[in-house]
Amino acid sequence: MKLFVSDGNPHCVKVLAVLEFTGVKCDVKHVNHEERVVPYLSRPALPALLLPSGTYLFSPNSICQYLIEVNGQESSDIVNQWLEWEATELQPAVMQALHMVVLQGKGAQTTRVLQGPLSYLDQSLSKRTTLFLTAEMVSVADVVLWAALYPILSDSSLVSGNQTELQHWFERVGMLAACGSAAQTALHGKGLKAESLKTYLQRQPSTHHGQGQVQGRGSQPCN
Amino acid sequence: MSLKELSSLEKALGLKKPNKYSTQGDRKVPVLQSINGPALVGLVTIATHLVQEAKRPELLGGSAEHKAVVQQWLEYRVTKVDGCHKEDIKTILKDLNSYLEDKVYLAGNQFTLADTLMYYGIHHVIVDLAVQEKEKYMNMTRWFDHVQHYPGVRHHLPPVVVLRNRVYTSGHH
Repeated sequence: MKLFVSDGNPHCVKVLAVLEFTGVKCDVKHVNHEERVVPYLSRPALPALLLPSGTYLFSPNSICQYLIEVNGQESSDIVNQWLEWEATELQPAVMQALHMVVLQGKGAQTTRVLQGPLSYLDQSLSKRTTLFLTAEMVSVADVVLWAALYPILSDSSLVSGNQTELQHWFERVGMLAACGSAAQTALHGKGLKAESLKTYLQRQPSTHHGQGQVQGRGSQPCN
Repeated sequence: MSLKELSSLEKALGLKKPNKYSTQGDRKVPVLQSINGPALVGLVTIATHLVQEAKRPELLGGSAEHKAVVQQWLEYRVTKVDGCHKEDIKTILKDLNSYLEDKVYLAGNQFTLADTLMYYGIHHVIVDLAVQEKEKYMNMTRWFDHVQHYPGVRHHLPPVVVLRNRVYTSGHH
């Protein structure tokens, strides 16, 4: 089994954190952002996991779910729900915010983009009865959401003072050794200030993260 | 849109009692109300839950690998296919076509939930494809035709005519 990652790619924080968290044995190979690892995709998609059967997994969350599954843990409705929320709601907002702050130097304007999903997460955390997001123990949902938010929430200039539940949860999950070392490997522990993050973002198609789009989605969807 | 899909999925799974749904947010994300637990949010989450309720775990994939592949294409449906830009449609069709070159279904030889939801999500694109384009993306069209004829799948959607004999012989690449 081989995991392909690229330096400065924020999606790689997730899979590296879950890989270390589960302790699953796997070769990690560092490649360029442009490397087309998955043969049937026309655009580069990293991280990617090559399974012994020759199958490729190219979605970070599916790679994380696979690692958890081979480690003997079953997924649940609540974990699935957080992973789906991360992919459909949080991720477009985070990528748009990263573009604004790292490439355009518009840190102050990211609130508009991030407010919705961050408040939702903060409120959900306030209502929960368990120590972590889905249980008393850390789950794959905590690690994936932590990794998705790492570049944003590790930067004090982007943190909103009134989302205290979110802050506490972020610090608690971040204490896991797996999270710290994944942030170190993928972004050199520098978060937004990692030079490799800038290089990564510069090479992404910018049409999806344009300034005028709050959801990271186009104004003219095809359906 | 997604509520119609969930209702069709319930029928396809043979679930007798229809569930209660609502939607939330600008994207009209489906919400499943539940009497004995918290509400479930999101198309993939609810669809996965319905399959488990119907005791059809094989539709989510048998092995860890198949489960991950099914989850991946379910995620692809809600992140890439839904709300895609016009210029992205060609990339999606091309990638699916290339992926399906040596496969009957998205998870290989076995029909899964990924096929059902991808079929529902991409139907509006395939309906508008010209015959020539259908031939260009032949593996994808063949998969689409398999899925629309799979027992119980095509509930709320009209059938799409797929020619089995080529009309344009020079269009092959």
